[in-house]
Amino acid sequence: MISFLQPLALLGLAAAAIPPLLHLISRRVPPLITFPPVRYLSETERKQSRRLKLRHLLLLLLRTALIALIAFAASRPVARMPLGTAHEPSDIALVLDNSLSSGAVVDGRSVLDALVDRARSILDRVSNADRVWLTLADGIPHRLSIPEVRAVIDTVTPWPIRLDLTFAARVSSQAMEDGRVVFAREVIVISDMQVSAFGPSEGDNPTRVLVWRDAPTLETNRSLDSAWTEPTVWALEGQVVGAVGGSSTAPATVSLNIGTTNVARAFGAPGELVLLPGSVDPGWHTATVDLDPDELRADDRRYQALVATTPARVSTGAGMGMFVEDVVEALRVSGRIGDGPAVALSDRVVAGTTVLFPPDDPALVGAANRELASRGIGWRFGDIHGGEWQVTGDSTVASNVTVLRRRRLQGSEGDVLLSVSGEPWLVKDRDVVLVGSRFEPAWTNLPLTAGFAPFVDWLVNRVAARQVVMLTAPPGTPISLPPGAESLAGAGGVEIGAGAGVGIAPIEPGVYYLRVASGDTIGALQVNPDPRESHLDRAEARSVATSLGSNVEVLNDGGLDRELFSGARRADLTGLLIAVAILLALVELLVATIGGGRSSEG
Amino acid sequence: MNRKSVDLLDPYEVAQLGSLELTAEGVVEGFLSGIHRSPYRGFSVEFAEHRPYQLGDELRYVDWRMLARSDRLFVKQYEEETNLRSMLLLDASASMDWNGAEDRLTKLEYGKRLVAALTLVLLSQRDATGFIGFDEEVRTLVPARSRQRHWWTMARGIAGLQPGGGTAAEPALRRVTDLLRRRGLVIFVSDLLLDRELTMLTLQFLRHRGHQVTVIHLMDPSEMELIGPPEARYEDPESGETVVARPRELRKAYAETVRGVVSTWRMRCQRGGIAYHHVTTDTPFGLVLRQVTARRARPA
Repeated sequence: MISFLQPLALLGLAAAAIPPLLHLISRRVPPLITFPPVRYLSETERKQSRRLKLRHLLLLLLRTALIALIAFAASRPVARMPLGTAHEPSDIALVLDNSLSSGAVVDGRSVLDALVDRARSILDRVSNADRVWLTLADGIPHRLSIPEVRAVIDTVTPWPIRLDLTFAARVSSQAMEDGRVVFAREVIVISDMQVSAFGPSEGDNPTRVLVWRDAPTLETNRSLDSAWTEPTVWALEGQVVGAVGGSSTAPATVSLNIGTTNVARAFGAPGELVLLPGSVDPGWHTATVDLDPDELRADDRRYQALVATTPARVSTGAGMGMFVEDVVEALRVSGRIGDGPAVALSDRVVAGTTVLFPPDDPALVGAANRELASRGIGWRFGDIHGGEWQVTGDSTVASNVTVLRRRRLQGSEGDVLLSVSGEPWLVKDRDVVLVGSRFEPAWTNLPLTAGFAPFVDWLVNRVAARQVVMLTAPPGTPISLPPGAESLAGAGGVEIGAGAGVGIAPIEPGVYYLRVASGDTIGALQVNPDPRESHLDRAEARSVATSLGSNVEVLNDGGLDRELFSGARRADLTGLLIAVAILLALVELLVATIGGGRSSEG
Repeated sequence: MNRKSVDLLDPYEVAQLGSLELTAEGVVEGFLSGIHRSPYRGFSVEFAEHRPYQLGDELRYVDWRMLARSDRLFVKQYEEETNLRSMLLLDASASMDWNGAEDRLTKLEYGKRLVAALTLVLLSQRDATGFIGFDEEVRTLVPARSRQRHWWTMARGIAGLQPGGGTAAEPALRRVTDLLRRRGLVIFVSDLLLDRELTMLTLQFLRHRGHQVTVIHLMDPSEMELIGPPEARYEDPESGETVVARPRELRKAYAETVRGVVSTWRMRCQRGGIAYHHVTTDTPFGLVLRQVTARRARPA
């Protein structure tokens, strides 16, 4: 029940033996004095012996107790009891939700300021014997000293990211589970408690979780939840759609800016608002879609990459047939084929970007495969098959396309864009696009459909010549980079090392361009806040308990103060012991004075 | 030396002036000149009264003139015709050989000088004066004489008394009974660290025999209160008994005990018709002589 903050001071208890020792020592060697009236002294002592023995015993006990009390007091004893503010050494994980929503301004003060103030008050009750973890909006617990925690929270700012409090509470709890025996472990969640911050339950948390519920909350918020371009790659023109959400129903103004130039503006009720900027210059543009500012500024802007280009310059091989030549001519007339990048439609491998079809003559298939091998392309034409298959894939242009004959495409490199019967039908590896069927009615019904021209347009302009990668990710979330992407270039072309494969989206919202080794841009990463951060509705205690497990308590200010460290609560007995020691000292003084004055007897 | 003022000096300073005989003479001379009259006037009255003759009375005491005038037989009664016989007893036990301070006489030395002074006073009245020094037994005995030369015998006996062992007053007091056949004066000087009941019994016996008895209870001032180091082992020089005590604890109670002892002696002596004087060794001899003689001068 009782523990000591300075246990070494208990060695001072040995000093409690001093009075008895002095008593014994002093009784052994008193000086001898000749004194004739010893009979009077003996008679006096006989009369006083009982009183003297009681007094000696009382003084001995008082002095021994006094020293023992002082030693106890110096050892800073604490007792576990429901009173007092001191506590046994404990582990606490402080989850400070400085996510995007904490930047909301309520009554002229940011929500984060209120959260930080509450965190400071908690730290005031943390003792040096406690271990502290701090988890910010990135969800990563850090073991820090108390001064370090104070330094961090003194300078913390709202981060444009979302914090999953369910995840944060769980990992914070796990971080403390290092086998050390402590009296209590507590996860303290200091958050604006927006309902979207709590994820699905991950089971009961073994650690006690205290959630503060008294943070100020913005009553209404309007946000720009998302924005996108249509089409993705503009042939000099296109449109941007901005989705306005939030709890406000008032009409809003959304503007599109490229650089510092406003190129479009739209006004309307919350929902999808279309921005038509007109023609833009070919190339990549970093645009922002902006909403009228409100008390939560961080969700009023979204970054958008715009890419505009001129139509591809297409040539057709000798054996491609009349359907292909006809559609190419139609596209040229309509302006969908121009003087842009060169794309060859052929059944033989040629230099440059090529859309390669199976040769009509089976004898040429081997030569085509050898050419592919020499170009380092990982795909080959295989056996020919007949049947009737529907084309499947991501592209909407491939709907209702039936394949009657095809050569199997064998390989694994690059991207499979369209499939039939689960097998690749249209693939791309580097600058070569392989199609499993010729665009002739004997192979596919595509030439006979209305979608043939859009399909070829998509094939040459989007797939073969200008396929770009548009990635969208919230800050700090994992992203999958396309093959060949070596780096991300941020504003001003500053490269951010990314490496190939999976990476992490930058924390700072913006447009980041995907660069290949040669320096060419193959796409863009649009980093914008998670729209869930804009939904500020406060979670109910029941839903919090459902999310964080049964070992959770949602508390107001007073409740948090009361429950904090309640599992290791203790009262510091030092003051009480000192008071008792002073009282004993006074009693000792009184007894010694009344009983014959101060003396050195034990 | 102004001998007339010696009796009121500090006893220790008086003792530094010379031998016991010399300083005693100085004390008594100063004392007598101060009171201007003999303290023992009226001691010796020859005729006391007439009483009717009874069978067996000696015929020489018949007052023939009264027979002639009244035709009745009366006999004369007389007080003692000789001077007073007195015995001075001085305790010389080990407890008397102690002083509580270097500049203070031991009780024995103080007692010697006081007894010597009393001797001179008594001899000056031509009273026969004797001396007994004792501890557990009689150590010095000087029979009572009234001659002036007897002073030197007394002085030698008093000065030669050496401290002895334990204290037992009974043998000395019984010896007085043998020595004083007639009623006389007994002055008993002691620190009274002895058997009180037995001593009182013996003193009362002397009183019963018609002697005037005076007890001078000598104490060193340091015996009146308990002082010393925080804790000490106090040893009785006679019995060897030791007591460990802390003066600060017992000071008050000890002083009460001493006051009780003195009070008890005074009360017991008063009840027995015995004069009692409590004297500390820092009291000038002249003051003690005045106390003792004033008490004795009162009619019995």
